[in-house]
Parts: sequence; C-alpha cells; structure tokens
Amino acid sequence: MKIEWMKAPTGRRSFLKGATALGAAAAMPMGWAGHAFAQDAGTLRVRAYGDAPNMDPAHSVGVVEEEIHASIYNKLIQYKPGSEWGWQLDAAAMIEQVDPTHVKFALRDDIGFTNGHGAMTAEDVKFSFERIVADATESPNKPDMGPLSHVEVTGEREGTIVLNEPFAPLWSIALPYITGNIVSKAAVEAAGGRIGSDPVAESGPYLRASWSPKEKTVLQRNPDWKGDAPAWDTIEIYPIDDENTAEIAFEAGELDLTRVSLGSVARYRDGVPNGGTLVENPSLFYVWLGMNLDHPKLQNKKLRQAIQHAIDVPTILEASYFGAAEPSTGIIAPGLAGNRAQGMVAPQANIEKAMALLAESGETNVTLSLDILNKTTYTTMAQVIQAMLAQIGITLEINVLESGAFWASGDNEDLQLVLNRFSMAPDPSYATAWFTTEQAGIWNWERFRNEEFDQLHAAASAETDTAKRAEMYQRAQDLMEESGAYRFITHEATPVVHSSRVVPALRPDGLSLLRYFGKA
Amino acid sequence: MTDATIEKPRSELGIILTGVARNPLGLMGLIIVGAIVFSAIFAAWIVPYDPIAMNIQDRMQGPSASHWLGTDQLGRDTLSRVIMGGQVALKVALPAVFGAMVIGLTLGMIAGYGPKWLDNMLMLLFDTIRSFPTVMFALAVVALVGPSLQTVVFVVMATSIPTYGRVARTQTLTLRNSEFILAERSMGASMARILGVHMLPNIIGVLAVLAAMDIPTVIALEAGLSFLGLGVKPPTPSWGALLKDGYALIRQTPWLVVGGGLPIIIATLGFTFLGESLRDVVDPKLRKNR
Repeated sequence: MKIEWMKAPTGRRSFLKGATALGAAAAMPMGWAGHAFAQDAGTLRVRAYGDAPNMDPAHSVGVVEEEIHASIYNKLIQYKPGSEWGWQLDAAAMIEQVDPTHVKFALRDDIGFTNGHGAMTAEDVKFSFERIVADATESPNKPDMGPLSHVEVTGEREGTIVLNEPFAPLWSIALPYITGNIVSKAAVEAAGGRIGSDPVAESGPYLRASWSPKEKTVLQRNPDWKGDAPAWDTIEIYPIDDENTAEIAFEAGELDLTRVSLGSVARYRDGVPNGGTLVENPSLFYVWLGMNLDHPKLQNKKLRQAIQHAIDVPTILEASYFGAAEPSTGIIAPGLAGNRAQGMVAPQANIEKAMALLAESGETNVTLSLDILNKTTYTTMAQVIQAMLAQIGITLEINVLESGAFWASGDNEDLQLVLNRFSMAPDPSYATAWFTTEQAGIWNWERFRNEEFDQLHAAASAETDTAKRAEMYQRAQDLMEESGAYRFITHEATPVVHSSRVVPALRPDGLSLLRYFGKA
Repeated sequence: MTDATIEKPRSELGIILTGVARNPLGLMGLIIVGAIVFSAIFAAWIVPYDPIAMNIQDRMQGPSASHWLGTDQLGRDTLSRVIMGGQVALKVALPAVFGAMVIGLTLGMIAGYGPKWLDNMLMLLFDTIRSFPTVMFALAVVALVGPSLQTVVFVVMATSIPTYGRVARTQTLTLRNSEFILAERSMGASMARILGVHMLPNIIGVLAVLAAMDIPTVIALEAGLSFLGLGVKPPTPSWGALLKDGYALIRQTPWLVVGGGLPIIIATLGFTFLGESLRDVVDPKLRKNR
C-alpha cells in the first residue's frame, strides 16, 4: 500500500511571529498586553447564529457546533474552501477507495490529543466512527454514516473503512462533516463514553479556551499543532441570533464576519462599511409549498396542479427575499449532483393554465389553510400566495404557528398546505431522505408516497457513478413535482460580510471553515 | 313672587365627563381616546388606501405625500394599516374588557355576598387563573385552538376576570354590613335586588375606572401576541404585526416600527390619562391623597 505521508509544515515564519508576539506581550503590563493581542496578534471575531454548548460530534445538532468541532478536532478529510464542493486531506495522509465498500486510510504521524491522551491512531478512528452508528450512543447523526459496517485497524495509523453497501455520501457528508470528527478513544472512555460541554481531548489547530454560555466561545491556537499554522491566534465566536443585531455589530467594528439578512444585500452591494466585503453564496436550504396528499380537500390532482401554476415564484422572492435569492427547481441545490436545470412547472405563474386546471378539477368555492412559522419571511410569503390563489378563486386562510407547534406538524393529519424550509448537507441523498414513504407523517408532511421514488433514493445513495446518480435524483424530483404536492420556491442564499482584515474560508454554501481563515 | 331659574339636573355621565374635561390630562385622554374610537369606527371610510392591497413595486418606501407613513414589505400603505390596526385593537380590547368586567363583577359580588364556601371556591378559581403567566397561557391556548381574533379576546377575558372579581368582592364585603343593606335585608329584599339595585351602583364606578386603565394593557397584550405572530391572522392589520414586520425590517425601513409603535404609545397614554381622571372624579378621596 502506498502511503502519501504529508510533511509536517511547521512554518519558520509562523513560529518566529508567534514567539515574538509572546515575548513582546510578556514584557508589557497586563492590560496593555491584552490590548496588543486584540489589535496585533490577531483575534478573529465571528458571529454564529446560536450557542454551541455540546462538544460531542456524536450529538452535534448542526453547523454552529460543527464550526467549532471542525477547528478543535480533526477528520480524515475536510471540506475545501471555495465555490465548488470538494475535500482535502486533514488527519489522513492517504485515503483511497479500493472498491465500492472499502476505503483505506493512513493517518499522519504528527497529530496528538491534548490532556496526555497520546497520538491519534487508527483505533481512535475506529472508535469515533463506530460510536456514531452504535445503538447505545443514540446519535442523531447516525444516518449520516449510512451503511458503515466497521473500521478494520490494520496498523497503528492505518485502517480500512468497511461499508455494508456502496455509499456515495461517504465523501460528501460522512467523512468531511459532523460524523467525520475523530475523538480520542482513551479520553472518551475515561469520561464515561460521552462528551459533554467540555471537549475531553482536542487535536485540531485550535483549542477551545473558554465557553461563556450564550455569550462567547473562544478558540486559541493549539501549541502542539504540527500542521499548517492557522492564521489567527484567537477566534472569538459570538452567538447572535438576530441578523439585524449582528449587522449593527459588524458595522460598529465589533465583528469581522457575519451572515447578513437578504434584505440588507442591496445595501451592502452599494458598499460595505469599513472597507469590508460582501460575499454572496448560494445556500443549500430548500423552501417549498407542500400539499398534504392525504387531506380530503387535496385529493384532486388538478386542484393541486392549479395551485402550482397559480403561484408566481419571482414575486415571492422579490417580496420575501428582496430579490436576493433565485427560484429553485427542486430540493437539490445547484452545485450538487441531481440539481435540475429547470423544473416541470416554470417559476412564473400561469394564471390561465391555473384557472383551466381548476375548472377541469370541478372544484368550486375552494377554501384551504396554509400553516406557516411565525417569521416575517413566511408571513410575507404566505400573504403573497394568498393573493395569488385569490386570483383563481381559491380562498386561503393563513395559520401562523410558533416553532414548537409548527415543527410538530408532521403528525397533524389536518394539515392542508404548508410553507416549509429544510436545512441540507452537501449531498443529494440528504434531501430525498425526508420524502420517502417511510417518512410520511414524520418529516414527509405532504405524505407523498411513491415506490419509484423510494427505489431511486435507495439506489442513488449506493451509486458511485456521478452522472447516473444525478439522473436518478433528477427523476426523483420529477416524481415529486408530478404529484402536484410541491411548489418549489427557492434555495435562499447565504450573504456574508467580512472586514478588510480577513480572508474568509467559506464552504460553497457560505458557511465558515474557521481553521482555514486567513489574514488580509 | 321672584323669578327663579330652575337648573335642569345634570346626568351622572355629564357630571363625570365635565369633571374629566376640567383636568388637562383628562381632557387630553378624552381627545385621544375619542380620536382612536372615531378612527376605528370610521376606519373603512378614512383609510387612504386598501390596507391589504399589495403593490410590491412600491414596497418599503419612506414617508411621502402619497404615503404619509410609507409602505411595508408588500407595498401596502402603512397609515391605512395603522388605522385599521386601531379597529382590531379595539375589537379585542372592548369586548374583552367589557366581558371580563361583567363576569368578574357578577362572580365577585356573589363571592362577597354569598356563603363562605362559595367565596372560597371562587377565590381558589381566581387565584388559579392568576397563577398562569398571561403570555404563557395565551401561547398555550393559541397552540391548542389556533390564532384568531376570538382567541385573543378569550385569552384576555379569561385572564382579566380575576382582577375584576377580586375588586368587586372586596367592595361587596365592605358594603354588605352597611346600614342601608342591613335595612333592605330586614325588609326581606332578595339577594338579586340587594346586589343589582343597591350594591351594583356603588361598585360599578370603581370597576369602570379599572376597565379604562385596563384597555391599554389589553391593547399591548394583543400587540404582543401579534408581535409573536400569534394574534390576528394575516393579512388583517394589527399594530403588533406591524411592529413585528418593522422589527424584522428595521435596517431596511424604520417606518414600520414607528407605524406600529406610535399608536400603541398614544393609545396607552390616552387611556391611562382618561382612567386616572375618571378615578379622580369617581373617587375624590383618592385625588386628595395624591
């Protein structure tokens, strides 16, 4: 087996710079030293939309925690910053798919865990991956690992990932995302098998120095890190839920990077304060209007199709997203295999066709309800849809629900229409997974049941030929749209502003890869 | 024989209104409340535009000659929505406060005049209702039955009844051993007659003052629920919904927050001034103590 060992790049310049800063700081009074660090040694201040109390990747609830985990732990591979989805080596010196169900890897020999837990070994990889799929762990992220059977340890730093069946998302989700984080077997076992709010042992380029709940998480350089030196000494992550607040903080110079609201994009296009830059990335999220196929009022396919054609997506996007988002053609975003160049129903409304379909349906005096989450984006969208459906004679009543009630709508059999938005990981299987027959009444709120769709979803996950896989997902979305249960609206967008000090490292969907952030 | 001018006796309402109008703050309250009530009643005739008609091309405009308070994210005239929002606020506040007052008064008088066990039961019921935080109770009811104008009225009424009930009970307890009540009782007057004819006129004034002071609280509660998106259903305009949209879009157009916030402030001030003046007129002892 050929092992491509990576050179441990301890940069001389980085070392000298760090040593000089430390020496200078030590010579200064405490207060001044702190000031000097904030200004010169480099503190990156970024905003997260939520707090990150959990340091266990097995129980990670999403991107906020993953931003930190990806900095303090290592994975075999990490996402590559840029505008196209791809991965790069991280803890793996070599990784190779030897056949559809076997992936060989060799670890770098220069990565160690903190708190005296020794070097990272293949046993740690085995422990970390198998822990995710073990029933005892009860990891909500287990599906991301797909059909993982086990990890065979073939040497101290070598092993083979064994799958029960081929699994294409291994390279796009399982390894470079949440489930790919490698934790220390010894440390986790010593902690009783579960990591809480304190990472028991870290290995990444940063260490979590402190966490003040709902206030700030501070990451600091790992002094023992032997890989490419990170550009920033300290990263402060501020949980700020409200985008308006984050924008004000950014404009006041208190943040170096934040996602901004779509409503502010036009303003920032005219100029970002303090010499900053606006970066507009497409998002993977998908937003759609769903129709419950089990509801007696929505049994008529022509009625559902009339609704599809009566809704003018560009108008919705203009009103709710200020024209900063593009219409979608399905649930799979551009840039991912399976994205459709165009849907079966054009984004623009066709009122004549909608009226003709409604007449064909034989339905009269149609009154329907639309359930939405209590956010201005959705109330705006819902009112536009209400006005559009009124044009063809359908009366729409809007039910605004708070988040608890809304997200419990899966088993609500009285649900008629619903405006929904799901998050997404960069693999098409992540989108289709929620619309299978098995998910009806759970996350498949439309109760869309289609055997061909289910087969395509299963087969596409195991298909390693990208072109064939893309065709399968395109067909799956055709089936969804043909059912009349879906009016696809948008994938939204992820506009980000950053200060002139920062060279951001972002995923193609605009999310931060903090360990790769550079200095301008 | 001398000429004498015989003054026509003034009505109770006339006396109260005159008393309120003599107080500058009371007069201001009267004018504000009058203006709100007038605009709510005649809203459909005085709104410059259809408050739910969208015009996306003209969205989020600032104040101008054609749109005095600008437009919202759907291009709807904010002033028209503020005026119609006033109608919604009063549609919630008036029936809710009136209903709570009538039910609370009835139950409070029964509690104060009736047997001890009934008093204890009613007090337990009042305390139980009062132990629920109003907003949490509202959220629970809305989650169960869905948001609507009726839901908001019900929530406000249910949570306000104990307040009126307790005040009515206290007043009844104070009056029940008064000489005129004892005299009535000794003459064999029924409980209904004693409560309705003799006690009610002595209690209603205090409750009316309380109701006037309660209206802004109810308006704020309705606005709060609408701010959470759980008040009246879109596209019905509401001050709280205006505030909610305004807050979300404050960086794009601050005028929605002004449109939603200002009427709540003005209505609160108006009803509070009016309530305080009413209290001074109805209970002059309080005024002396102030």
